[in-house]
Amino acid sequence: MSTTSEYSPTDAASRWPLLLLLIKGIGWLVVSGIFALIASIQLTTPNFMAVCPVFTYGRTVAIAETAFVYGWLANAGLALALWVLGRLSGEPLRAQNWALGGAIFWNLGVFAAVIGIAVGDATGFPLLELPRYVQLILFFSYAAIAIPGLLAWAGRLRRVSFASHWYAAAALFLFPWLLSIAHVMLFSAPARGVVQPIIAGWYAQSAWTLWLAPLALSVGYFVVPKVTGKVLPSYEFASLGFWCLVFVGGLTGGRHLLGGPVPAWIPSVAVVSCALLFFHTFVVLLNLRGAFSLQGTALKFIAFGIFAYVAGAVMDAVTSFHAVALHTQFTYFDEAQKQVALYGAATTILFGGVYFALPRITGKAWLSPSLVWAHLSLSLLGVMLLVVSLCAAGATQSHDLLDVTVAFSTIATDTRGALLGATAAYGLLLLGNICFLANFYGTACEILKISAPATFAEPEALETHAS
Amino acid sequence: MKSNVIFFLGLVAALGISWGGIVMGSNAQLGGLAPFYDDSQSNAFPQRMPGIAAQGQLVYKGLGCAQCHTQQVRRPGFGSDKDRGWGDRQSVARDYIYQPAPQLGLSRTGPDLANLADRKPSAPDASDLLNLLYSGANGMPSYRFLFETRAVGVGAQPSEKALKLVGALEPKAGLEIVPTPDADALVAYLLSLSTPYVYPEAVPFTPPKAEGETGAAK
Repeated sequence: MSTTSEYSPTDAASRWPLLLLLIKGIGWLVVSGIFALIASIQLTTPNFMAVCPVFTYGRTVAIAETAFVYGWLANAGLALALWVLGRLSGEPLRAQNWALGGAIFWNLGVFAAVIGIAVGDATGFPLLELPRYVQLILFFSYAAIAIPGLLAWAGRLRRVSFASHWYAAAALFLFPWLLSIAHVMLFSAPARGVVQPIIAGWYAQSAWTLWLAPLALSVGYFVVPKVTGKVLPSYEFASLGFWCLVFVGGLTGGRHLLGGPVPAWIPSVAVVSCALLFFHTFVVLLNLRGAFSLQGTALKFIAFGIFAYVAGAVMDAVTSFHAVALHTQFTYFDEAQKQVALYGAATTILFGGVYFALPRITGKAWLSPSLVWAHLSLSLLGVMLLVVSLCAAGATQSHDLLDVTVAFSTIATDTRGALLGATAAYGLLLLGNICFLANFYGTACEILKISAPATFAEPEALETHAS
Repeated sequence: MKSNVIFFLGLVAALGISWGGIVMGSNAQLGGLAPFYDDSQSNAFPQRMPGIAAQGQLVYKGLGCAQCHTQQVRRPGFGSDKDRGWGDRQSVARDYIYQPAPQLGLSRTGPDLANLADRKPSAPDASDLLNLLYSGANGMPSYRFLFETRAVGVGAQPSEKALKLVGALEPKAGLEIVPTPDADALVAYLLSLSTPYVYPEAVPFTPPKAEGETGAAK
């Protein structure tokens, strides 16, 4: 196999915005992990750091979530989307300065959001805790980051586009729309009463199905055939799966409002949509089943991510039913579902993408194979422990909540054991991500060392094999 | 897919459907919801929050209370909401029309607060809530930063707002613990949370008996 086909000069030409986005993303991942750990400890020891208003539970949770979604997932997802679009266009990214400038302002915006939440400006809407004043910064900087990606998409050498294209381009297009609609209808000209939680629920769900999930899937659709060297099986269904997600995904948000003070059609639409979305999930599983060959680090992460993506879709659909929601609604089970999607699926697929992309962007192999191995095992172990613990806590909590005689202080005692498991899981994840950050930073710094002109090894050697 | 234009139009249509359906649809249905005027009481419901309660809602939102507390009572028979004394009827959209930012919440690590001021069998009063905020509970953090510990001046009366704490939390002699304005606003907000009026749409639907059935029952 010739090395030139695998290492393309377009990567080196567009490395700086990508590296900036990735290092910021991984940095935010560690910050988010620290806050998630604090919040998790506070669930079992409520007075942990409670004297300081900045670290009260309601704020640590919101900061952890914001840093995770807008810090880690957005930065890393955008970096990989730009890389994938650039790769598929066959040319170096154009308008890179827009991405660089956008990345700087995006991260300033996320930093301002975290500070804002810490001093009490959170909005109280899940996945949209961003204080009002940072939303416009994020909107414009996102648009700036997206420009090189969209230019690469529109100016591609071949007219035919691929599944990676669709998912990446959809994510780049749709997020600014989502954010602007939410901003106008919740903050500039707020809708009345209970319409606000409906809009917030729609935004939270759409941010997942139309932004974060497509970012991850774009990486999956690009990396899996690259590593396996095979054409994606059943690829003819891929476009149907894509349009299914885009058209139906935004309608599934109402399931959290089941039994709430909203018209019954909203949760009903969500139930139907969750079932329809199975078609999309099935197509993704069918197309990307090559990942389960588990070749190399990237595919190990991505295979786990696809498994979690399918499991998450099943959990969403099952819990949207009335009889099941009676038990799972308002419990830690909801949190478990969120972690399956955001951590289990999106994050691990992006991890896989970073492991695949970085050696190509920098032209250097990963610095430490043992850190790669540590990150892989700690992440997968951590996610599984986290989800199992939260589900166990949710089961206890659900049982206790339905029993009128059980007081809330007793529920706190009953769920303590399972929640300690979740705390341990957050610890493992944080440790793994610190390994990831160190390894990434070390590898990226290798570029700065003066070395002989690029002589590239076989692609297999560029990848570190964890096993 | 070869055409960028068709792809782009597809995305517009997809987002347009979910935005138009879910967001604008619910806004059209509920956005213009008016208060309900009851002739027999010569009053309209719900009633507006007092100003200090509206301030308190900002404190509630800023502290992230909604991470653990919902403010939505589900209908009797769906969950234990009624049996726990959180409310005799389900919350309906009209309950929230005067709230600048309704905090429905997604998690019940703590109890529901939609109807806190009318909770059965006994509703908490301001001093209960202040003591709870100061001392915390099993599963709930304390919010000491909402209180100020200060010295009682020599020969001065202690503040009438000072918390009456007993046991380990009792302040040392010569000191008193008073709530900050934020704590007062938060408690005023919590005590404004009540949904006493039963709107027509909040009454569970009971199907009318068919004429044949009443005849047969005789």
